Amino acid sequence: MDIELSKADLEFREEVTAFLDGNAYKPGEDYAAWRLNWFKAAAEKGGWDVPKWPAAFGGPGWTPTQHYIWEQETATRNLPWDLPFGVGMVAPIIMTYGNAEQQARFLPDIRARTVNWCQGYSEPGAGSDLAALKTKAELSEDGTHYVVNGSKIWTTMAHIADWIFCLTRTSSEGKKQEGITFLLFPMKQDGVEVKPIITLGGSHTVNTVHFTDVKVPVENRIGEEGKGWTYAKGLLAHERTGLAGVSRSLVALEKLRRQAGKVKRGNGSLLDDPSFKSKLARLEIDLKALEYTELRSLARAAAGAQPGPESSIMKLKGTEIQQRIALLTTEAAGPFAAPWGGASVGPSFASGGTQSYLGSRAYTIYGGASEVQKDIIAKNVLGLKAKGKAS
Amino acid sequence: MNFELSEEQQLLQDSVARFVADHYSLEARRKLADSTLGYSEDHWKQFAELGWLALPFSEEDGGLGGTIIDAMVVMEQFGKGLILEPYFATVILGGGVLKRLPPSESRTARINAVMEGHMKLALATTELQSRWDLHDVVSTATADGDGFVLNGTKSVVLHGASADGIIVSLRTQGGQFDKDGISLFWVDPKAEGVSLKAYPTVDGLRAAELTLEKVSVPSDALLGPLHGGYEILDAVAQEATLALSAEGLGAMERLYKDTVEYTQNREQFDHPLSDFQTLQHRMVEMFMEYEQCKSLLYRATLEFAQDGMDASKSVSACKHLVGVAGRFIGENAVQLHGGMGVTEELAIGHYFKRLFVIDTQFGNADYHLERYAA
Repeated sequence: MDIELSKADLEFREEVTAFLDGNAYKPGEDYAAWRLNWFKAAAEKGGWDVPKWPAAFGGPGWTPTQHYIWEQETATRNLPWDLPFGVGMVAPIIMTYGNAEQQARFLPDIRARTVNWCQGYSEPGAGSDLAALKTKAELSEDGTHYVVNGSKIWTTMAHIADWIFCLTRTSSEGKKQEGITFLLFPMKQDGVEVKPIITLGGSHTVNTVHFTDVKVPVENRIGEEGKGWTYAKGLLAHERTGLAGVSRSLVALEKLRRQAGKVKRGNGSLLDDPSFKSKLARLEIDLKALEYTELRSLARAAAGAQPGPESSIMKLKGTEIQQRIALLTTEAAGPFAAPWGGASVGPSFASGGTQSYLGSRAYTIYGGASEVQKDIIAKNVLGLKAKGKAS
Repeated sequence: MNFELSEEQQLLQDSVARFVADHYSLEARRKLADSTLGYSEDHWKQFAELGWLALPFSEEDGGLGGTIIDAMVVMEQFGKGLILEPYFATVILGGGVLKRLPPSESRTARINAVMEGHMKLALATTELQSRWDLHDVVSTATADGDGFVLNGTKSVVLHGASADGIIVSLRTQGGQFDKDGISLFWVDPKAEGVSLKAYPTVDGLRAAELTLEKVSVPSDALLGPLHGGYEILDAVAQEATLALSAEGLGAMERLYKDTVEYTQNREQFDHPLSDFQTLQHRMVEMFMEYEQCKSLLYRATLEFAQDGMDASKSVSACKHLVGVAGRFIGENAVQLHGGMGVTEELAIGHYFKRLFVIDTQFGNADYHLERYAA
């Protein structure tokens, strides 16, 4: 065990910063063009546009340390916007369970960020209990396509998505985890209706999506019929790791410290306030621990192991810390946490802080609520049996 | 020892509860919050007719001679309905100052106008640097001939833009943090040099930034003793803190009860959510925090009724717990409602946001913990 960076790692860090600085957005530039060019340039570096993809599919094949360096360096810079659903979520499933034809058909567009994806999992009656989903996919008599009917909810960015990866029910027999089928289909077609849900912060990112007789060719089915649950479960573990956001939290905490230093408290600043200071310190301690939990998890992944129980720890702790940072930001704003609706009043971080705090409440709900995460750890790690529990 | 409401207080509680039930459905509230004014003038007229606006004023002033306990009764019910009208700003804050002033013609006229529903008030104390320290004042009033000239900025003035009169704390002598040397002034929002920038707050209420630029006022704009405004402010702040705590308690009750009901109806894993022990225990904790808040609210309110300012430690204890418990209950109500909890569609999110704002008013949980420990 040691934590010293090798000469090669230090060189890698320099290469990363040179790339990021050299390709940074310049004010006035056409953003959409810059964005696609950025990914192109990153691809030319040898898979830097898809750091987590396996080398066999064009990923860079980085060591855990290199991933860690990349995350650290990118957390402090403005990268082009990127939804997690394509590169991070559906692509690994297509790589693992899709056939060669599907891989050739979908992966290039996902990688180029020219097609936006959304995730059709949760339903009004199937939230934490995802396997209770009811959206029906019926195979046509000639066996050429499925007909999909039902509703999805909390579908992030469905309103701008071109494609959806969707869990559907093809059979109601046996256990509810059986009979679930993984389908891919376009969003912009008749029979797909997207309605916005306005969340606490007043913003529109999630939606309900209704399907009425949507035809999906069988070649858009991933893997076998009825095995979708197995495929999705692997992805959920993957998704949960990605939600920890350690580097981003470290950056956010530093920012909060700077901001609090400018908030006056008597003759000093908020940083002289003992209770604020200790909250800040406690957050930092938790993050220092989580940073190493993540490194341990990365090392395990590099050794070829599946994301393990630590991925559940990552999501639980990571989201809790994100929420606490958001909350402490509102406390730093004091009376100025209340103004809303674009009022620029008080410290410049105040209104964004409140927005983040409200938005952060969803972090412990989506991607597997914290209560479900704890069930998973209890069952899979501690080997405990739950009473009256179906999962 | 008796913690029951008197017959009169019970009637008052029933009447406010009925008003809330009749006029404050989530949909009705949403419409009002989105309107230009942000509340209803018709409701305000009813408040006057029902005597609620006359509640804290003494019988000599033509009021009902209500106590802090009556204010608690009203505010708790308002908390259950998330009332938008400027009752707190006008009656508790503005009225709280007016009733503490020595007799004068203008005092009588203003109190009458408030009670009749013709005058709304605001209290402007917060400054950019002050956080919740009422004695941290840099905006000034300078003697000028027979009157004063006012200069400075006040922030997050609750319902400032709909007020007919704004009571402003200004420095008339001493340094930035001196309690001695703060005076209260009556400012007409329409006077020259007064500007207001109005905006909504995250809970759907309204506030404003107040700027005073060389505002000339006559000598009778000074309210109460010159340099002696802090004592009045401090007393009003105690009442305000209790009133907000009572409102918070009402919101907490709705949140924990709605959550208990929701989890019994929502099925996941072939069981109602309420079957799961971990969720049951969470709701038990929400309930316990609520009951503890209620106890401290009673304690602080009764002590304040009896001992006045000597009760300030209990008042801080109460606001601290309201801050902490309000956060715990609010966040868990949202969490247990799952995705639905983070939408604008359910009442849950709106109560959660009101509790969030209550913690930003007259001192948050940490602020009052520090005051308590001092």
